[in-house]
Parts: sequence; C-alpha cells; structure tokens
Amino acid sequence: MMQSAQNGAEPILSVRNLKTYFFQDEGVVRAVDGASFDMYPGHTLGIVGESGCGKSVTALSVLQILARTARIEEGEIWLRRSNDNGQAERIDLTKLDADGKTMRSIRGGEIGLVFQEPMTSFSAFHTVGNQIIEAVRLHQALNKQQAREKAVELLRMVGVPQPERRIDEYPFQLSGGLRQRVMIAMALSGDPDILIADEPTTALDVTTQAQILDLLRSLQEQEGLSIILITHDMGVIAEMVDDVVVMYLGRVVERGPVDDIFHDPQHPYTKALLRSIPSIMASPRTRLSTITGSIPHPYNRPQGCPFYPRCPDFMPGICDRHVPGLQPSSDQRAVSCFLYNKPEPAAAADISQG
Amino acid sequence: MDNSDRLLEVEGLKKYFPIRKGFLRRTVNHVRAVDDVSFFIERGETLSLVGESGCGKTTTARCILRAVEPSGGTIRFRPKDGKPVEITAVPRSQLRPLRRQIQMIFQDPFSSLNPRMTLFDNIGEPLLVNGMTNREERMERVSELLERVQLAPEYMNRYPHAFSGGQRQRVGIARALALNPSLIVADEPVSALDVSVQAQIVNLMLDLQDELGVTYLFVAHDLSVVKHMSDRVAVMYVGKIVEVAETTTLFKDPKHPYTEALLSAVPKPDPRLRSQRIVLEGDVADPANPPPGCYFHPRCSYAVDVCKQESPHLNEITAGHFVSCHRAAEITLRGVTE
Repeated sequence: MMQSAQNGAEPILSVRNLKTYFFQDEGVVRAVDGASFDMYPGHTLGIVGESGCGKSVTALSVLQILARTARIEEGEIWLRRSNDNGQAERIDLTKLDADGKTMRSIRGGEIGLVFQEPMTSFSAFHTVGNQIIEAVRLHQALNKQQAREKAVELLRMVGVPQPERRIDEYPFQLSGGLRQRVMIAMALSGDPDILIADEPTTALDVTTQAQILDLLRSLQEQEGLSIILITHDMGVIAEMVDDVVVMYLGRVVERGPVDDIFHDPQHPYTKALLRSIPSIMASPRTRLSTITGSIPHPYNRPQGCPFYPRCPDFMPGICDRHVPGLQPSSDQRAVSCFLYNKPEPAAAADISQG
Repeated sequence: MDNSDRLLEVEGLKKYFPIRKGFLRRTVNHVRAVDDVSFFIERGETLSLVGESGCGKTTTARCILRAVEPSGGTIRFRPKDGKPVEITAVPRSQLRPLRRQIQMIFQDPFSSLNPRMTLFDNIGEPLLVNGMTNREERMERVSELLERVQLAPEYMNRYPHAFSGGQRQRVGIARALALNPSLIVADEPVSALDVSVQAQIVNLMLDLQDELGVTYLFVAHDLSVVKHMSDRVAVMYVGKIVEVAETTTLFKDPKHPYTEALLSAVPKPDPRLRSQRIVLEGDVADPANPPPGCYFHPRCSYAVDVCKQESPHLNEITAGHFVSCHRAAEITLRGVTE
C-alpha cells in the first residue's frame, strides 16, 4: 500500500485492524474499532482526531498499557526489531504477555513514550535525576555512577541548561517546558527506535511548544528516531509530520502524505475538520465553517459509517446501512468512504451488531 | 477628550500577591501578577487579552469583576443608562447591581455549571437572585435564552451531565446573557472544546454580539481564535501590556518583538508553510523577581543596552497602536499575511 512510495523501505511498525474495546458496566465502548496504518523508519507519523476518536488508546495499545477494563479484541501490531541474537525479526505485540519480559523490554526500550502532562507523569517525591536513572538502569546494565552520567548526558541532549545542577531538582522546581524536556529525556533513556508522543505540547504555551517541536525534530535528525505524534492540533500536524492518519470514533477515516491531506483531502470529515480550524491568516471577525452536531456518545454509535449523521455528503440507504472499509485511493493514500468505494450489494450484512 | 463611547477604562491596574514565609507569615516579596496595566474597551467591540500562562490576563479580567481585589489603579465602567461607576471604589456589599452589568463565561463548561441543578435552575438563578421571583416569568426568559444559544427550550428540565461540552458552553453563555449585561468577560471560553465544536461557539459569540450589541473582553492564548473574534488585541507579558492595536494591524504589522515571536510560534495549518519560526530562548521571567529594564530583554534578539536598564512605557506610535518597546520605531518586524 504505502510501501512503494517509501523507497521500498519496510515499515518499522504495522498496525492491522486493531480493535481495542473497553468493557464497562454500562456496555462496551469500541474505543479503537479497526485501525490500520504503517510507520516507516525515520519518519514522523501523525495521528489526528478529536476527543474520543481513539488516537491515544491506539498508542496505549501498542505499548500494552491499557486500563484494566480494556482489551485488545482483534488485530495485529507488528514491530520490526533485532532480537537478542542481533537478528532482525518481526513480532506481533498483541501476542505478547503485557507483563512479560519481552514486552517490558520493548516498552521504554525500543518504544519510548512522552505524555501530555509532564507534571502528573513524574513522581513528585523523587528528583528528576533519580527517575531518569531508574529508567536508564531498567534497560541497561550500568552502575549508579554510570547511569547518572548517562542521565546528565540525556538532559544535555534535550537542551536542559546546567544539567549537572538540574538533575538533583524535583519536578515542581522546573517550568512546564523544562519538565517536558526531562520527560523526553526519560523516554530516550532506553535508546528507543520509536518515540510515541501523545499530545506532547498541548499543555504548553505557544512559544514553549515551538521549542519542544524543534527539539523533537532535531532529535529525529540526530538519532534517526521514528516518531508517532498524536495530537488534535492540525497546525502541529502540518508543521511536523510526514504521513497523517485521521481518526473518527475509533476508525481511520483517511490516511496519506501530509501535503495530500491538507491540500487534497478526500474524506468529508477531513475536509470539514480542515475548514473548521481557526486560522491566524483569516480576516478578523470571520465566521468559521462548522460541522453540524457533535461527536456521538460512545454508547450511541451510529449504525453504518460513524460520520454519516454529521456528513454533508450523506447518501441515504448506503452510509447508514453499511460500514465503509479503508480502501487505497492511490499508491500512498487510503480513504474510508462510499463516495470513493461503493458498497458491494453482497456486503449488505456488513453492519456489525453492537 | 470625549470618552463616552468607552464602556470600560482601566488605568494603572495593579494586583500584587504577597509571598509569605516563616512562622509569622511575614511578607517577603510580591508576585506582580498585574503590574500597571491600562486599556479601554469601546461599546460593542471585542478586545482580546492574549499572552502565555502566568502573564496576568486572567487576573486582570478577575479584577474587573472584583473577583479579586486590585492592589491599585482605577477601573471606570460606563453603563449605557446611568452614571459612570468607579468599580474599584464600590463597597463589596453594593457590588450586585454592577455584576448584573458585567457577566462572565468560564473556560471549563464541565465545572462551571452546578451538576445538581437543571438547566432551568442554572440559567434562572441569576434572574431569581436579581428579583425575578415569578416562576412563570423565569421559565419564559430561560426558554428565550436557550433559543438564543440554539438549544431546544425542552432541555430546560434536564441536568448538565446529559449535555456535551459544546452544549454546556452554550448553557454557560445563556446564563451569562440572562441579565442583559453590557460587558461579558470570557476567559478562554473555547480552549477546552474540540475543533469542530469550538467553531460553533466562536460563531455563536460573534452572532450574539451582532444581535445584542454586547461588549466582550476575550481572554485567550490561542491567537488563531483571537484573530477570528476580536476588533482589537492587547498582548501581555509578565503582568504588563506590551502592545495594543487593531486586530489586522497587530497581526500584519507587530511592533513589539514579543508579539512577533508569539505570532511566528503559532503552527500554521499548511505543510507548505513550514516556516523559519522564531524560537525564543529560555523561559518567561518570574513575576516575583523580574529582570531589570524591559522584562522581555533576556529573550529578545533586538535588545540593546538601554533595554537592560530602563523599563519602556506604552507609547502610541500610530493612531490606536500602542507599544512598550525602546526600539519600536527603528526595528522592522515580521507579521502574518492574510
């Protein structure tokens, strides 16, 4: 699919038909309901969508750090890695025990994670240094002194001024921007190949956001990191990523290279979302284009295409009766919409019961 | 000078929060959250206060409502039918008639409504408090208000939990409108909302202003939303206003280096415009220990010696364009093209 355009490179991470459901007393929430995408080495993949679209749960599923009520019901998450003997292999993360040795070495080792809120992701009772040192020693056989040197090195790499002094400070002594830098240093402590950044700049001011985005970009160049950037901010997507995955109610509605998504969006939701973002380049006091209605409650998912009740291109009898699948629309793009792929008459039983 | 079309005039507003230490809780220093801020708002316009967290924009807004007591300065309010009021001089016990005129919309629509009260009670409470004791009358007014914010009047007897974030923000707006205020202070009213819902609320606020002629003080950090909402914009940095201008002028032709950096830091929703952003070094100054001279000089690439010693004043450089920068006249800054 997207492979041909990436100079034949193999994806480092492939997610196939991922379904992660939450089982709650009130019913089942299909938080991720059939997501598929590929991520290529050294690239930045952006996952964008509004609240409840499943973008964060997708990331948590990759790392298998889901809440107790959640379960991966279906699908595959293929990671390309070198095994203990240094040979390349592909493993399906969904088949691994979440608490097992392999998964624990991948989590924080090959895949690092940066959360949105650096204040709540750190322990308030330990210095940032001790927290980084702990993470370093989890994945590398270093003594305390070596680990401390490595931690100072990491802090310097992420642009923390006076790292030898800052390493002994507590999280509350650092500004929001510095805390996020320390969080990134911690995510890099296991020398990961993949960095998952879940809304890394959402809690930050715009000038601090610019600093952190610059940092992520230069780290990617230096370290050859592959980055999954999860955000609701189309501006951040436009600035940062190579490929975009647009999600709505747990499903990938469209994916493709960033320039295509912004300049030739195909799915009605992508189009509507792009039109509704306020622009710094607009004339003052211009009305924004809106999407009618609001995101459905997770217990009240519409039958058929999840977007049809809000869709300007709604086709009665088709969109409310069949669930569209993600179909390639060119060699690098895919879209999940009946405007581009009419349902097969035989697929009338397509509606999943729920 | 005739200032009668100015609904609100703020002059030299200060709010210092004490830092107390030790057993005797002695005041050792002050956080200068708002430090000599002056601006005005004309009737029927939207003035946006923008800046990063901790710059004092919310504290300024709260001083206007007397939700926090200012440490100094004057706030003059001119209701359409009535004498000008010196807000800072009104005794606390006599604030109620004033608060009928000035209402607030909050950021978080989940915590600003009482979850144990129906929409009727949530929206109707300000009416009841201000003397509308007849239930029939109140119901009529509440259903009128719900229609105004494009919610069905039948929702009146439901509780807030049954509504989405965008719908709750509409309820918050309806409550703010209940007493026909002339000024609405909106503190980050769309920041907690999803993009598609945010657009609906921005449009609603613009429509209400056109229909009712209400004046907004719009406190926000998102410059794109500010561009859509405001007639004029005031930029704050560490408790001071550094620049005020009409929206188009401020975005196209900023005169303060901080405004330039703020504008350039906003990610543009177009991958073809991946720009050479100005990335500011370091962090925002500490309002308890601000640097000498211009508070922005340690991060400013245009700073010269005078910036390190003397603090600049807000000067009108062209009609309606105020800047607080020693070098405003000599430097050329980059704005945003439309």
